[in-house]
Amino acid sequence: MNQLQLDELKKFFNNISHGEQSNSYIVPAKDLFAFTQYLRDTVDLTFDYLKSITAVDYNENVEVVYELYSLKLNISITLKVALSPGDLKCDSVSSIWAAADWYEREVYDMFGVQFNGHPNMKRILLEDGWVGYPLRKNYQNKDMVKKPV
Amino acid sequence: MALINKVPIVLEKVPGGDFLLTQIDAVLNWAKLSSIWPMSFGLACCAIEMMATGAARYDIDRFGAGVFRASPRQCDLMIVAGTVCTKMAPCIERLYEQMPDPKYVIAMGNCAISGGIFQYDTYSVVKGVDQIVPVDVHVAGCPPRPENLLHGIIQLQNKIRKGTIKDEPITIR
Amino acid sequence: MVLHDYGYVGIFFLAGVALALAALVTAWILRPNKPNPVKLSPYECGEIVKGSGWLQFNVRFYLIALIFVVFDIEALFLVPWVYAFKYMGIVGYVEMMIFIAILFVGLAYAWRKGALEWH
Repeated sequence: MNQLQLDELKKFFNNISHGEQSNSYIVPAKDLFAFTQYLRDTVDLTFDYLKSITAVDYNENVEVVYELYSLKLNISITLKVALSPGDLKCDSVSSIWAAADWYEREVYDMFGVQFNGHPNMKRILLEDGWVGYPLRKNYQNKDMVKKPV
Repeated sequence: MALINKVPIVLEKVPGGDFLLTQIDAVLNWAKLSSIWPMSFGLACCAIEMMATGAARYDIDRFGAGVFRASPRQCDLMIVAGTVCTKMAPCIERLYEQMPDPKYVIAMGNCAISGGIFQYDTYSVVKGVDQIVPVDVHVAGCPPRPENLLHGIIQLQNKIRKGTIKDEPITIR
Repeated sequence: MVLHDYGYVGIFFLAGVALALAALVTAWILRPNKPNPVKLSPYECGEIVKGSGWLQFNVRFYLIALIFVVFDIEALFLVPWVYAFKYMGIVGYVEMMIFIAILFVGLAYAWRKGALEWH
């Protein structure tokens, strides 16, 4: 997305800033739902294909990463939402893209991020009664055998 | 217990009965080892090698074991081919219990033997399927070549050949 | 058939029954029987069974089976008629044509009503 379009976006959402790559944007958690709805619904932008939702655990925060693609403009963008580790709550975009349903369940399963408004927030890959969120950096499990050095 | 297991009680008292017993053993064991029906239980990459073993070049049907049944009710060998995760473990146990006696298990591939490449630093892999079901033959490899799996089938046939109707088939639990 | 021809049929029948029984009895002698509750539970690919096994089947199965039975019996009647055709003459021919015509009306009705469609 070129600078012109970002400036248009800034008119609506003045908290969006550029990330490190040219097509990634840092979005505050409270603006996420409105911003993604705007991205999908605007006729010029039509980001109607959600490629994936994943998350990364940097020790000071957990970032949820959304990758979107616009079939009309043939560009992909990345949205990153930083959440503080004590308060892992985010809005669910499953009402905007139906594909977000399972991606958000996987992020919940692996990182413990609760998505508000998700129709079926339960674990998808691990068993239902699993304790802990494995891809967090502070995950401990006594059944894990450490590799001998 | 089957009626055939009560036959040795009678035959041992008859002169020449021991010879008849060994011949009955030979016939029954030959029948069992020439018609092992595996249950296709391919979980991961080893399933590809199991399919290759069943295909034309490394034909497993030469050993009578080419009839892969999908249902545990119709098979007597479970080839656990692939990594077993903790979510799959109760299913494997239930399927093993649902197989009719006499039943055998081959653990194919390093993941089924000991967790394999996933033995260290993983949170949801069962480190060896022998923690869930009793295993008769281990076939090592990552994945084992088809000739390796055939060697495992032959070892299983040798094990069956040693069976006798004097012992009823035991289920280790 | 002469009476002693029935004897051949009888022996054939008894041999068939004996063969089937021999297979079943041999299996019963040789197989182990060690039931336990998990072994007897219904098979659902390793999962715990959810729901009942009793489903309501679609009526189209019943319709196809019914039509099959009727026309199978018609074919069954055609076979001895073919063997005895030489001895019957024109009367036998006309009788059978009437029979086939009556059943043909039934087939046309079923076809028009859509009983032969799968959906």
